[in-house]
Amino acid sequence: MNLKDTTESLRDSWREFAKVKSGLFGLAILGAFLLLGIFGVYLVPFPGATEHWRDINFWQDNPQAAPPAWTNLFAARKGVSSTVLANPKAGTENQDNGVAVRTFSFDYDFGADEPPRDIIVRLTGDGPVPVIITVDRPDSLSAEIYRAQLDLSPLSPARVSLVRNSAQAIVEFVRSQDPELATNMSADLIKPFGILFSKLGKEVATAPTALKGKYRIVVTALQLSSDFKVNTPSLIVSGHVSGILGTDSSKRDIFTGIVIGIRWALIIGILTSVVSVIAGVLLGIIAAYFGGAVDWMLTRLYELIYLLPVLPFLIVVSAIFKPSIWTFITLVCLFFWTGSYKTVYSMALQIKEETFVEASKALGSGSWRIVFRHISPILLPYSFASMALSIPAIIVYEASVSLLGLGDASIVSWGQILESALSQGAVINNLWWWVIPPGLMIALMGMSFAFLGTALDKILHPKLKTR
Amino acid sequence: MSSPETKGPGEGPGRGEVILELRALHKNFLMHRGRTVIKAVDGLSFQLRRGEILGLVGESGCGKTTTGKLVMKLIEPTSGSIIVNGDDATRLRGAQAIAYRRRVQMVFQDPYASMNPHFKIRDVLEEPLLIHRIGATKLERTAMISEVMRRVKMVPVEDYMDRHPHMLSGGQRQRIATARTLILRPEIIVADEPVSMIDLSTRAEILHLMKAIQRDMSLSFIYITHDISTARFFTDRIAVMYLGRIVELGSQDEVIDHPIHPYTRALIEAVCEPVSGRVGLMRELPIKGEVPSAASIPAGCRFHPRCPYAKSECWELPEPELEDSGAGHLHACRRWREI
Repeated sequence: MNLKDTTESLRDSWREFAKVKSGLFGLAILGAFLLLGIFGVYLVPFPGATEHWRDINFWQDNPQAAPPAWTNLFAARKGVSSTVLANPKAGTENQDNGVAVRTFSFDYDFGADEPPRDIIVRLTGDGPVPVIITVDRPDSLSAEIYRAQLDLSPLSPARVSLVRNSAQAIVEFVRSQDPELATNMSADLIKPFGILFSKLGKEVATAPTALKGKYRIVVTALQLSSDFKVNTPSLIVSGHVSGILGTDSSKRDIFTGIVIGIRWALIIGILTSVVSVIAGVLLGIIAAYFGGAVDWMLTRLYELIYLLPVLPFLIVVSAIFKPSIWTFITLVCLFFWTGSYKTVYSMALQIKEETFVEASKALGSGSWRIVFRHISPILLPYSFASMALSIPAIIVYEASVSLLGLGDASIVSWGQILESALSQGAVINNLWWWVIPPGLMIALMGMSFAFLGTALDKILHPKLKTR
Repeated sequence: MSSPETKGPGEGPGRGEVILELRALHKNFLMHRGRTVIKAVDGLSFQLRRGEILGLVGESGCGKTTTGKLVMKLIEPTSGSIIVNGDDATRLRGAQAIAYRRRVQMVFQDPYASMNPHFKIRDVLEEPLLIHRIGATKLERTAMISEVMRRVKMVPVEDYMDRHPHMLSGGQRQRIATARTLILRPEIIVADEPVSMIDLSTRAEILHLMKAIQRDMSLSFIYITHDISTARFFTDRIAVMYLGRIVELGSQDEVIDHPIHPYTRALIEAVCEPVSGRVGLMRELPIKGEVPSAASIPAGCRFHPRCPYAKSECWELPEPELEDSGAGHLHACRRWREI
């Protein structure tokens, strides 16, 4: 067959396929999954998440177990959405004694009812640098909330959590404005940001009212000599809601996890189901068609593997070898081919007695031609259906193996997200955004394959067609 | 690979020579784990000449289809030999077996089942070309397919090329099945009841077409049927089979107008004729009982339990061999002069 024939027959098949709407729908979902699987890693809010999914430090700036940002639309008291403030207005003032005063002012529009949980400053540079942070409030009051000398290094940024280090300064700020208010305030007991982002009044400590408007956070750093350096800092406002799908109890962004999980869901699901179904179908046909010793041996092998308990076997193998996704895929393929073998075997026994098989033999067909041209295509719809059906099972299987601590720690999968949600009580704690999306994704992926399977079924079963 | 095309059928002076000969062919099937032996074909011998149509006629279960499959080499004979063009073709292997398929082809009984329902007509006809590596490009193969489709009058070719078999009528399918055999330009075609599953109205058309092609290409046909009336129309010679063996063999007019063997007589008697004046005259079969099982063939003349003329010599003496009653009319009846 030359190239022209191939493209022509492909075009024909596509025309047939395009007539089945559910198939197009399935293909569209699968296409979206494929695109996200390939490019999603670059589009997510945390691009390094693939390598750092289990790295606590990577996620430390996120709020813990925060619901998705859009839940604010339905909330009575709006929470702060987690944001990163970058590109501050920078200014440098060189003093005569060789000291350079560098200022970075960040504008922050505060419109929520609850104050931010934290504001984190990340700062790189070189050498010991005194840093002062002040907040200009919309009511034109100004509070100095942080003053310390930081030892900066060029590569690993110094991280300052303002909520933890500003309590005393905020008490001082209140005292400077209204000493009476501050009389009973103790730095250990107040909620520092509850005061900083509220109207100053009698109830500022007990029932504060949010002071909405434009805040300016100014980071001032002193370069004591020209040997020392300060780079532009970044500010992370850690809120109550975060991202498209919220965060889990380890502060990980769930949307990022879902998107980078697509890749592994596709790889594990497609690879395992395709390999195991093809193996099962071919072995079934071969056993049925050739019969005799081949049949006997394959059927004994099938019975042996079918009787082995999969999970204990996987545990033992994972205990011996390093738990790796490739070991998992290989082992699951070794077990899953039995799923289609027996059905295909019985179907092929029937098909090989058909007159058209005899006619093909009379024309001179070899055994392999009959296996591949005559018997396999008839079993193709069944194969697609069983592939589509086994994909969700395999993804869940991967999750189950992950539960036992035998999952591959170098990948992110929906099963693992779901598993950690269940083990950390997401359901009891009403963290629905941690449970529903991965479950929905597994269902959606299974559905896309099922749609595809039924559409191909219609094309490959010409008797369902009319003239 | 020896190519039959070099000595194309229809050319050359070969007409009349023996192209296929079966010698004492036996085929036993074992059943019940070998405890029962079914003798489907039990000592069959005949010769087929180039350009001749030989009819194999008999009741169901007489071994006609098994004979066809043996000639087609779909099953291996238990003993005996198949000789094609003077060469022993009984046990061919590998490339020789494939080359044999180009010389001997088969039209199956059921045109609904003999084509893969997933194949388009184009694929059905292309398959033999692909198997035997005929035609280098798809274009070339398409040209050959069109030619053979025109030959079986499936025109316009483009209308049918991309249809699936289930979209065609039985007659059309059987034409395609014929075309599939012709595309390899075989010398011998085994037609196993090619019209028995087709509407009566199209039977004659298909048989006319097959006969025209047979004459054109000087093919040799083995026409397997239970229908003695189409056999008379279609064949040159008729062999009547009973329980795996030929009991009478001769030219079609001789066998039907002057049958010798009681079994042949019975078969001809049984034909009902829808001609006015004779409609009510559906004669009863003068023979009694059912065909005995091929697992226990009666001793002596195998027809004797059902024969109205049987006498003790028929079952006491060994089985009668075919003998000539003149002009190549062979029969296997010991008492033929008396009855």
